[in-house]
Amino acid sequence: MTRVTETLRDLLQTLLRMVPWPTEPGLRVIGNPGRESPVVITCNYDLTVRRLTRALRGIDAWLVVAPSRGINVWCAAAGGLLTTSQVVTALKTCGIEGRVQQRRAIAPQLAATGVVASEVARRCGWKIRFGPVYAEDLPRYLRGSSRKDESMRRVRFGWDERAQMAAAWGFPTSVVLGLAFAIAQPAWAIAIVAQTWAMSLACFFVYDRMGRGRWPLMWAAATACSLGAVAAGDGGGAALATAAGSTTLIMAVLTYDFAGGTPIEGGSHFEARQWHITLDPGRCEGVYSCWEVCPEACFAKHEETRKVEIAHASRCVKCGACVVQCPQDALFFTDQDGRRIEPDVIRRYKLNLLGHRFETGETGDSGETTAN
Amino acid sequence: MSSLVLMRILESAPDRYDAGMRVLSLGAVPRLHEQAARLAVHKAGARVLEIGCGTGAVTRLLLERGANVEALDHSPEMLDRARARLGDHWTGRLLLRESTAAEIDALPAASFDAVVASLSLSEMSASERTYVLAAAVRALAPGGRVVIADELRPRLLWQRTVHVVVRLPLALLTWIVTGTTTHAIADLGGELAAAGLRTVEEHRSALGTLAAVAAERER
Ligand SMILES: C[S@@+](CC[C@H](N)C(=O)[O-])C[C@H]1O[C@@H](n2cnc3c(N)ncnc32)[C@H](O)[C@@H]1O
Ligand code: SF4
Ligand code: SF4
Repeated sequence: MTRVTETLRDLLQTLLRMVPWPTEPGLRVIGNPGRESPVVITCNYDLTVRRLTRALRGIDAWLVVAPSRGINVWCAAAGGLLTTSQVVTALKTCGIEGRVQQRRAIAPQLAATGVVASEVARRCGWKIRFGPVYAEDLPRYLRGSSRKDESMRRVRFGWDERAQMAAAWGFPTSVVLGLAFAIAQPAWAIAIVAQTWAMSLACFFVYDRMGRGRWPLMWAAATACSLGAVAAGDGGGAALATAAGSTTLIMAVLTYDFAGGTPIEGGSHFEARQWHITLDPGRCEGVYSCWEVCPEACFAKHEETRKVEIAHASRCVKCGACVVQCPQDALFFTDQDGRRIEPDVIRRYKLNLLGHRFETGETGDSGETTAN
Repeated sequence: MSSLVLMRILESAPDRYDAGMRVLSLGAVPRLHEQAARLAVHKAGARVLEIGCGTGAVTRLLLERGANVEALDHSPEMLDRARARLGDHWTGRLLLRESTAAEIDALPAASFDAVVASLSLSEMSASERTYVLAAAVRALAPGGRVVIADELRPRLLWQRTVHVVVRLPLALLTWIVTGTTTHAIADLGGELAAAGLRTVEEHRSALGTLAAVAAERER
């Protein structure tokens, strides 16, 4: 029975992934934890909490659920809803401080964009380590003396995640479009739903792997398919025009959303594109926090010099995680004209370049950016 | 529907916050703010701690009544708006701090004549509220009071029914415009009592949903 409801809830939440789904913040007990058991932190998105709980089956641990307005870790951290303050709040108020001896907690790696470990330590004395990206790797991480190999640090975006994202996008969109058509042109409603799902799946499975000119390419392919289908079904002129129009519209929203909605691609704004992650090697002292938190494994360690190198800059999604965690302020975003965004600005305003937060900051009245 | 649209709405919320609140509450929120300030400040020079000051609407009323105010909020964007609103006008009498409510436990004990929370308590989880109320009591000087202005669950059945019906679309609208939504506090009296506080004054709106409550330490 509970198995069935759990599965149904998983399904519903996967289809409605874009909608916040809060669960009560606070302390959860996993297994039979004691005063030395590990403390794991996460957001209060119901699906995440339940998945994490399942992943930790068989392990004794404390789970601290921080308030993130029911939004998943990546979006909440990037959007300023899962920040240092939320983690400090959870650790102080959930009752964990009376239950364990140590003051070490493991946060999900994808929270590193919003939660600044050094500030958590300063504000409430807890030492945060960023664990694996995926909950399913947590048991391995806990058993393996908290070391992360690259597979634990890097966003995989495998077929399962792609399918989930496609469904999360395809479902609400097809419901809205399907209903609109059901009222205006009932005969076409099924076709539009099918088209939405097909394009969503196609986009989430191949778009990021296509090279230059992917937009027109994908658009041409989608248009050819939909027009072909309409023509084969003897659709007529109005149907052809509608198919072309809907293809273009779905394409536009879909690709716009794709960037930034997933941890594999940076924002597609013009503003965001001109900024690049930059290292000041003179300041770097090899603390390797950047290496620990980068979801794209952009950094390479050089143990001899105790410095890092940005070895894979092209993979950077501009999430800002490395920038906010670096204790030396050795990382920042710069553009071709030599302007730079200081780490503290990113820390305060969560001005990662995934959304338009950055524009807010630069033109905002705070005047905190050091552009030029 | 789209995650980025959602994020954007949330992000730009501070800009629209004040206007949104005013309109959506049909003027009830400004009235609530007035009541909160009146309940909190009894004499010039009163030391007031404000939790979740947001854009500083209540903060200004407290200052105008002559209080010395320490106001905190966990949102840097909100604090920027508050700073813009309050300007340098109140130097020496106003301290704005980025901090989460639970961190008031680090303030010196018995150092405030009033602790005020306007529409912020209802944004907190139950465990956070318990913690914050206990810390607020600790921060109160002898004779001091806790003032809560917030959305409460109405007491009477008919009010509750109307509340639910009216609230659904309004909650959605509020969320779209301001990016926050609150959950009416079900049993504020009980929570205050658990923190060792006794309600001494209360003003409810006609529908019984918005209330300003002053509570003092049981002796
Ligand atoms: C609904 S607004 C109310 C603002 C203002 N007090 C008013 O009455 O207009 C709530 C404010 O409380 C802040 N807030 C909510 N929870 C908080 C917490 N745990 N610690 C600090 N600030 C908090 C939010 O950032 C927001 O600015
Ligand atoms: S860039 Fe910063 S975080 Fe990365 S290794 Fe150097 S000092 Fe450490
Ligand atoms: S290098 Fe890029 S992707 Fe990696 S943490 Fe830094 S900003 Fe994010």
